Amino acid sequence: MTEQAEQSDAPPIDDNDVVALLMRQHGEIRNLFDQVETTTGEERKDAFRRLVRMLAVHETAEEEVVHPFARKAFGDAGQVVADRLEEERLAKEKLSALEDMGTEDAAFLPALLELRTDVMEHARSEERYEFAHLRRSTDPERLVTMAKAVRAAEAMAPTHPHPGVESGAKNMALGPVAAVMDRTRDAVRKAMGKDGGKA
Amino acid sequence: MSFNPLEQRGIPLDRQLRNWRELNVAPIDPDHCDPYTRCRIITMNGIEVEAIMFSHQMARHCPDLAVKQQLARTRYIEAQQQKAVNWLLPGVSSVLETTIAYEQVAVDLTAWVARMEPDSYLQQAYQFGVLEDFDHLYRYANLYEIIEHRKAEKIVDGLTEVMPGRPTPLHHRAPVDNVREPYDKNTVNPLSRLHALTIMSAEQQTMNFYMNTGPTYMEPIARQLYQEIGLIEEEHVTHYESLVDPGESWWEQLVHHEYNECYLYHSFMQQESDPKVKAIWELHLNMELEHLHIAADLMRRYDGREAAEVCAPSLPNVLTFEPNKGYLRELIANQLDLTTLGTGYVREAHERFEAMQEAIHGGEPAPSDQVLAQHDAMIGGDYRLETEGEHPVPELRSAK
Repeated sequence: MTEQAEQSDAPPIDDNDVVALLMRQHGEIRNLFDQVETTTGEERKDAFRRLVRMLAVHETAEEEVVHPFARKAFGDAGQVVADRLEEERLAKEKLSALEDMGTEDAAFLPALLELRTDVMEHARSEERYEFAHLRRSTDPERLVTMAKAVRAAEAMAPTHPHPGVESGAKNMALGPVAAVMDRTRDAVRKAMGKDGGKA
Repeated sequence: MSFNPLEQRGIPLDRQLRNWRELNVAPIDPDHCDPYTRCRIITMNGIEVEAIMFSHQMARHCPDLAVKQQLARTRYIEAQQQKAVNWLLPGVSSVLETTIAYEQVAVDLTAWVARMEPDSYLQQAYQFGVLEDFDHLYRYANLYEIIEHRKAEKIVDGLTEVMPGRPTPLHHRAPVDNVREPYDKNTVNPLSRLHALTIMSAEQQTMNFYMNTGPTYMEPIARQLYQEIGLIEEEHVTHYESLVDPGESWWEQLVHHEYNECYLYHSFMQQESDPKVKAIWELHLNMELEHLHIAADLMRRYDGREAAEVCAPSLPNVLTFEPNKGYLRELIANQLDLTTLGTGYVREAHERFEAMQEAIHGGEPAPSDQVLAQHDAMIGGDYRLETEGEHPVPELRSAK
């Protein structure tokens, strides 16, 4: 009674689906919050660094790829995008406050939890109000291009620790968050441009 | 400590109405709550939904205006209770996360009831059903990782294991084989009655939830999996509702419903770790005591009997959410290959079962198997959470 699984030849979930990719990034961000919460000392510092980078990359990708498109596609539904952008701006403020504070500070964890709640609500709002529109009203080719751009952005944010790289010279080379965002933006624009982003 | 709800008085009914501010409860935090707090919320929502729908059905069969008015008064308060309870669930949870919590309820609630059930035929019914909910948890957990890139252990928090149970494609039986024999209302242990009502209500709510939320998904595999498991929940409702003696009068059934609500709020009040949620269980217990009194009055007037003749003189041992890992592993080892035939259970795939299987699967893998194949293709292998060692059935151990 146990022959199951393996025999299905159904295709894997499409990696060219930009919405699926972004939703998985939301899950990854949540996983990183878990890691920061449950670790201490150097481990927490590393986990927090990965979280910051992931958030920076994810939000930059959304700002570059998803929001402009959504604004154009929905016309007056632009308020949806405006709400999300305002949430992102507030989250960035909280994030840099956390960075200045440092993971050892007694106020760090409560502030992190507050940010986590904001980020979660923001992510669910995107999934429910923005992504739903995206899937409904976008042509498949365009979605593929967007997915490529998001994957290019993703390459800028390692989600798992790489011993010897994380705290060493490589990390310095990646630089502060602002630099990560700049480079993500460049990568995204390049991916969009090369694959007919103007379409 | 014995507690006889028939002898307690609660809050008078005309003081039970809540305004918007009082109904506006603060939701739990999905990432930091006790998973069993969420399980208790989901359970009590199912119980309140059953209370409301039972009362509606009773009203529809009731020619007496005064009785219908009395039912309406209590039912409106129950509708408020359902709102206060279910609105404890947070808006930031996805449907899939809530689904995994529903399956955790189905697993740990049914397993506990099976462990405590004094009647062996009824016990077998719970043992049979829980192995299917156990497998649903496993399938949804794989879907969750595909779609949200999160592991179900973040939801069940290691309290419930996630691994194969009776394979979901094999849950599709000929409908007639889902009907069981009822207990006898004259000889049944009062605890058995509460168990049957509780599990029936929980499964019914699960069926309602899947039938309504399934189509809100855009991913084809998610839509298909909700359809498949939604149909199995229909089988489960048929299975559990048929355990209840249909010979109980409407009045008696109403009393049992109210008594069970007292039992469950009382139980959950004892265990609740979240003080804000505990306050709601306590408030609702004090409301239910009055609902029970009203039901008992109706039974006395129209049935000519005392509620004390059909109810236990004190509440049974508290119904508890706790891990049931060892018990479940034992059931998995011994009862995985059972199916039903007529009102009993057999180990061979009989003709009627085979015919149903052939018809519903149409020679293709079921969505519940496709989800595993997609997980394997995308992430590699299947998602499991085996905290107590390898799977008890060698053929179901993960291929590594």
